[in-house]
Amino acid sequence: MAPKPITSPVPDAWYPTLSVVMLSIGLIVTASFFIYEATSSRRSRSLAKELITGAVASVFLGFGSLFLLLSSGVYV
Amino acid sequence: MGLRLDLFLFTIGILWGAVVSDLVLSKVDRRIDLRSQAVRIVSTLKVENEGSDLVSEVLLAFPDNRIKHLAYLAASPNEGKGKAKVSSNAYPVEAAQPKDVPPGLTFYSVSLPKGLGKGDSLTFDVLAVFTHTLQPFPEKITQADVQLLVFQESAHYLSPYQVKVQSLSVKLPDARIESYTRLENSKIHGSEIKYGPYENLPPFSYSPIVVHFESNEPFAVAHKLVREIEVSHWGNVQVTEHYDLVHGGAQSKGEFSRLDYQARPHVRGASAFRRLVARLPPRAHSVYYRDEIGNISTSHLWGDSKKTELEIEPRYPMFGGWKTAFTIGYGLPLHDFLFESEGKRLLNFSFGCPMNEVVIDTLIVKVVLPEGSRDISVSAPFPVKQWQEKKISHLDVDGRPVVVLEKTNVVPEHNQYFQVYYKFNSFAMLREPLMLISGFFFFFVACILYTHADLSISKSSASYLAKMQWDEVQAAVQQVQNIVNRCLTIHDKLEASLSDLSRTGDIQGCKAARKAADGSLKELIKELKPLLSFLQSSQQAAQILPKVEELVAKEKDLQERLMAKHGAVVDCYEKKYGGREIENRVAQQQQKITALRHEVDDLLEIIDEI
Repeated sequence: MAPKPITSPVPDAWYPTLSVVMLSIGLIVTASFFIYEATSSRRSRSLAKELITGAVASVFLGFGSLFLLLSSGVYV
Repeated sequence: MGLRLDLFLFTIGILWGAVVSDLVLSKVDRRIDLRSQAVRIVSTLKVENEGSDLVSEVLLAFPDNRIKHLAYLAASPNEGKGKAKVSSNAYPVEAAQPKDVPPGLTFYSVSLPKGLGKGDSLTFDVLAVFTHTLQPFPEKITQADVQLLVFQESAHYLSPYQVKVQSLSVKLPDARIESYTRLENSKIHGSEIKYGPYENLPPFSYSPIVVHFESNEPFAVAHKLVREIEVSHWGNVQVTEHYDLVHGGAQSKGEFSRLDYQARPHVRGASAFRRLVARLPPRAHSVYYRDEIGNISTSHLWGDSKKTELEIEPRYPMFGGWKTAFTIGYGLPLHDFLFESEGKRLLNFSFGCPMNEVVIDTLIVKVVLPEGSRDISVSAPFPVKQWQEKKISHLDVDGRPVVVLEKTNVVPEHNQYFQVYYKFNSFAMLREPLMLISGFFFFFVACILYTHADLSISKSSASYLAKMQWDEVQAAVQQVQNIVNRCLTIHDKLEASLSDLSRTGDIQGCKAARKAADGSLKELIKELKPLLSFLQSSQQAAQILPKVEELVAKEKDLQERLMAKHGAVVDCYEKKYGGREIENRVAQQQQKITALRHEVDDLLEIIDEI
């Protein structure tokens, strides 16, 4: 079997676009998380909704910041 | 001294000659290239077996004082004229220690692919590269002087075998030759000195020659070069090279005049070099060149599909004995160097320095593999010292495995590919993003905990209790708002059912919608009751209560009117009135409904603001 070249799972050229898109989605979800935290009163707040919003925001922010690192030349 | 060694070897050779196998070198042709700082000796040997036994090894002899400068030794089949190439079918060369050898010599043995039978002969090339063999003489020169070098060698091929015919040619740079040893049969052709042919010399013949010549070739010697090759599966191979460079030629003495150098660099600085060219692999990107105090701007980069060339100039011209230290770095695309084969990943990378004609005293190649690589093994085309380390870098937990290869005396001939094999699970690539995600998630969890935690110290103070009550009131008001909003959506549904009715005339469907709406509205009103009574009982709610009550009242009114309208419209359809008439009948209702709807929306906004 001839050696097969290994490439990155995501083409390098997409890194900047991906990082901008995912970071902006992540920041929007983060904003909605904090709006919810600040506007709802302590009694009416639902923990599940907070956790889900936080999880979604952290997934987008996590991948967004990874692609930001990669596109700026910090290959982790 | 040379003569004494010669006599000594000669005597021993006679005593010893009978012991070696019956090989004879029927023709030896040596070409010595002194045009760079590394001495390259290509010897074409024609061996002949005159004995009756099968011989599969040929011994090569080198004097001990040379051996520590021997950087590279390879034997390959002779492919006609031209330089000996490092081909894949090279013969293996090993250090050998034959019995009864004279002292002062080191032996290497070349294993021939097929043994030589009686009377057989074979021609092959031996390439030997020596470093630090050209001695500058005088050892110290001024800025204006040219550099003179001395080279010592034997005019006769030093061999444990009898040599029938031999010749030697020494290729010098195109410059002045100060002096050379004149022997019988020596002649000079331009920049080439020829010795020989000499015939029928016994084993271990030795006849010293000395060549003293001018050479201003760059004498770039790297005392230490550390190459760090960092593999990232996200698509990059990052190479960082730390050079510790010195001009290894004649030492510079006296003062250095920048003015003289600038005005006539070829006369007042002939022995210096001012630039180096690194041939980097194609598609190299993010190239940088810096030292401890920052970026060095004197560099040029150009490239095509075969290579990338980086021309760098040190901060000052390099004269003899001057040192400089700098770092160059570049990124390379992953798919050119990393491959997958039989379940293993392999990195295929060149070992030596990318710069032309740099001799390296100590070369350290570090291959930094991604975190989580296992079963690491290295295959190098020549012996190297190797060990493993750990390196902690971005987003690492337990560090990345590093394979370190060390080799001394490295010449451009060592620019061959070596392979690092390792195993890696693709899912381990998700380690870095998961780390970032969990970091962000912990931040959000901390925020949630902070907003949920009750941090007040005095739990019985009036202001604290008031705040608690106000929180309760707020929660109740929000619930009221929610319920009113839900009522409004039910109203919308009823309106939608009416418009369906006008389109399809489905009276039964409309009635069913009405029934469902009635049921859910009743439940909502039931839910509303305890909230309202709580608000009425609470002191804190005194300010907001009138608005809430107004909201509820308006909503009720709206609900009644809507029901009335709905009932009327359905009634009209049942009696099969015309569209115009229906509109006339409900027009007044409709106006009030719209007005009330506006008021309810306004009230909701006002309560929101409070």
